[in-house]
Amino acid sequence: MKSLTLLFTTFLLFLAPISSFGSAVQDQVHLHSIRADFVQEKHLRILAKPIVSTGIFAFQAPRSLRWEYLVPIPSILLMHDGKLSKFVKTDGRFIEDQGIGLDAMQFMLGEISNWLDGRFTDNEMFVASFPDKQTILLEPREQSLAGLISRIELRLADQKGVLNSITIYEGSDSYTRMTFNNAVINKIIPSALFIQK
Amino acid sequence: MKLHNFYLVIILSLLVACAAEKQIDLPGLNPGQQIQGRPNCAAVFPQGKWQFVHSINFTVKNGTSTTVLGVTSLTEKIINCALITVEGLTLFEAAYSKENGLEIRRAIPPFDNPRFADGLMSDIQTIFLSPTAGDVQEGQITGALAVCRHTDDSGRIIDVLPEVDDCWQIKSYSSDMTLDRSVVGQSCRKKSSTLIPEYLELNSYGQTGYTLKMTLIRADNF
Repeated sequence: MKSLTLLFTTFLLFLAPISSFGSAVQDQVHLHSIRADFVQEKHLRILAKPIVSTGIFAFQAPRSLRWEYLVPIPSILLMHDGKLSKFVKTDGRFIEDQGIGLDAMQFMLGEISNWLDGRFTDNEMFVASFPDKQTILLEPREQSLAGLISRIELRLADQKGVLNSITIYEGSDSYTRMTFNNAVINKIIPSALFIQK
Repeated sequence: MKLHNFYLVIILSLLVACAAEKQIDLPGLNPGQQIQGRPNCAAVFPQGKWQFVHSINFTVKNGTSTTVLGVTSLTEKIINCALITVEGLTLFEAAYSKENGLEIRRAIPPFDNPRFADGLMSDIQTIFLSPTAGDVQEGQITGALAVCRHTDDSGRIIDVLPEVDDCWQIKSYSSDMTLDRSVVGQSCRKKSSTLIPEYLELNSYGQTGYTLKMTLIRADNF
């Protein structure tokens, strides 16, 4: 369970305001909302070609989230007013999925609040380091988690307050990279986006 | 339902072979001389080196379900497989070969139960590998469907039906001649002499039966 939580934690790291990253960036941006498109590539030793997924990510303070995959498996994770649900398109319609994610996302609500307060380095699960101005490395504090996710590399975008990519390494030959583009920050997002499938 | 409990249900469903709730018996076989030509059962199973990526929806009897990405790589000697969440987390990765048996490379709890791996490999073998052991008869069953019937030493029977609607089906019967597993392919496309279904549905029957709905994302022949 903890490992699943870790994954969701890492995927949401780009919500963190740049001020959270300490010395990596000088300018501070207070983040109220963010919306971005993403491309996710899954690399695995046995995969001849990576699995490419695309989708949309939107977050609005304090606790509204839409994490939507368009292809190859249409799915939507919604969070609004304390209600959390996940839907996967099955047989042509969105069906509620009782699997991975929901317990983890409840935990994430607290984490996101911390980040919005600029307390990224307070994270209990990672040690952060800053090899250069554009890169943040996160390594699990506990050995048990390191066996599942060896490290996370965050690349900052030119646009203040936004990450360009997150790469999660499970091992030397297995990793997931999410690259964000078309990011819009601090514009009010209609609440319907966090409710409608 | 908590996540952990949900996956325990799935794992149990994949593992436990119980008496069939809705019993379907083995149909009679008309011998091969009554059909025109031999059924092309070889076309059901990929030959050579392949890689498949599917969207896999697990549904257990109480209706709860979850969806993951499934990767299956086949060569003459080894099967590699992986289950990945939509969000990219590798839940399970394993390899199987006759020489070395099952090697689990990564398994996040509760997928670290060895019997889960056995059940998963059994499903993969049913779908992708031609039955090898025992006697093979060719003929027709009810509905004039061509069939290759494989019977192993323990009395288990696997019927391979290479031409049903626009695709194929596989039905597995326990030694008491009741259906315990079926695979129904739909919307087959011929690729390198193999009939590749765009959609597969595997049903395991019994008290803790389950359904895998597999939608093809990618099929690569190397």
